Amino acid sequence: MPKSRLFPRILTAAVFIILEMAALHILGKNAQLQRLWIARGAHGFMGAVWGGTQRIKDYFSLRRTNEGLALENTRLMEENARMKELLDARELDTMGLSLKRQRGFRYLNAEVIKLSRNKQHNYLILSKGFEDGVSEKSGIITREGVIGIVDAVSAHYSYAFSFQNKDISISARLGEEGGTGLLVWDGQSSRGAILKEIPLQYKYHRGDTVYTSGHSLMFPPDVPLGVAGESKIINGATNEIQVTLFQDFTAIRYVTVVHNTAFDELEELEP
Amino acid sequence: MRKNEFFLVYALLLAAQCVICNYFYLTPYVSLSLLPVMVLCLPIRISSALAMVIAFATGLAVDALSEGLLGLNALALVPVALARDGILSLLFGRELFARKEDFTVHKNGLGPVTLAIILSQALFLAVYIWADGAGMRPFWFNFARWAASLAAGTALSLIVVPALAPDTRK
Repeated sequence: MPKSRLFPRILTAAVFIILEMAALHILGKNAQLQRLWIARGAHGFMGAVWGGTQRIKDYFSLRRTNEGLALENTRLMEENARMKELLDARELDTMGLSLKRQRGFRYLNAEVIKLSRNKQHNYLILSKGFEDGVSEKSGIITREGVIGIVDAVSAHYSYAFSFQNKDISISARLGEEGGTGLLVWDGQSSRGAILKEIPLQYKYHRGDTVYTSGHSLMFPPDVPLGVAGESKIINGATNEIQVTLFQDFTAIRYVTVVHNTAFDELEELEP
Repeated sequence: MRKNEFFLVYALLLAAQCVICNYFYLTPYVSLSLLPVMVLCLPIRISSALAMVIAFATGLAVDALSEGLLGLNALALVPVALARDGILSLLFGRELFARKEDFTVHKNGLGPVTLAIILSQALFLAVYIWADGAGMRPFWFNFARWAASLAAGTALSLIVVPALAPDTRK
């Protein structure tokens, strides 16, 4: 719009608003009923304006809220793991065994700053590095499953293999007490995975939850991963089960990096 | 029509409106008003901003000189002044503004002039009745009042429009 036409329009709008406000003010001063009506309208308008600005403010503070929730989530995961360890130790004590569990996990929250999803060997980059406490061979989880494994760390960033990578497999357990096998990405869908090498003697039902087994050095036990679906027998010896993952890989933003504090010691024992 | 003549007619109609407000109370369903047509017929040279100021002063004068609520006519009349340019452009075309020529019934036709009066009356009455009811009256009452007042106001405005917008051809 040309400048010469814009100014008269602004002036007209300003004069209109001023005159209408003046008329409403005069009307409100001289009539009780209209005063209440105007006050009601003004309150409604102010409520809508304040409500609107509050919603905008809330929207822009979502990032801070999410970061706070991610931090809280990590703290709760850590606390949960510690409680489980205490319960396990107590169980062992009541059985008369003097065995002490040495294994513990350190938890750290991080933000995913890059994530590839359209390859056969996908990866992700996290916003934290060794200066923040991230080590190589750490697991990456959320409350909905396993995301990947840290492969390399710099001072402030970490490079990790995504679970959606044909080279990654994790040890998983079928149900609370079921058989343990290897869970791998099916290479096709965002939420599809295959649980391999489940011995035939272990019975299961479709819909059973699949958890991390705890046999891996990188992931704590009992992290829920997905639900079991159809299965087929491979070579007459093991079951191969379709798993639908809980984690939606299209919506990952905050993750928890878990590091087994006894990883180096345990790895040295392995041949 | 010369400017002075127009404002003399305008002042007389303002006085007539005060008389209508004070003495012509027909029914609660009818509010007779000449004010929208008076604002509609303001000379085309007058800008929207100035027309709104005139409308505000006119409405306030009627409110002050009659038994109505002070500010009610002013509140309802200012939107008519704001919409005046739009209504005239829509019905008579932009050339009216380019030539700075006031409309008349003879030149522009009774139909478009009647429609312009109806639109300005409808807008004025919508605001007037809405504010007068202050959200306390039922919709059907407000609607009936709006429709009856629109019919009566349009008929009365058609009577006075030749005085406000006379044909100047010799």
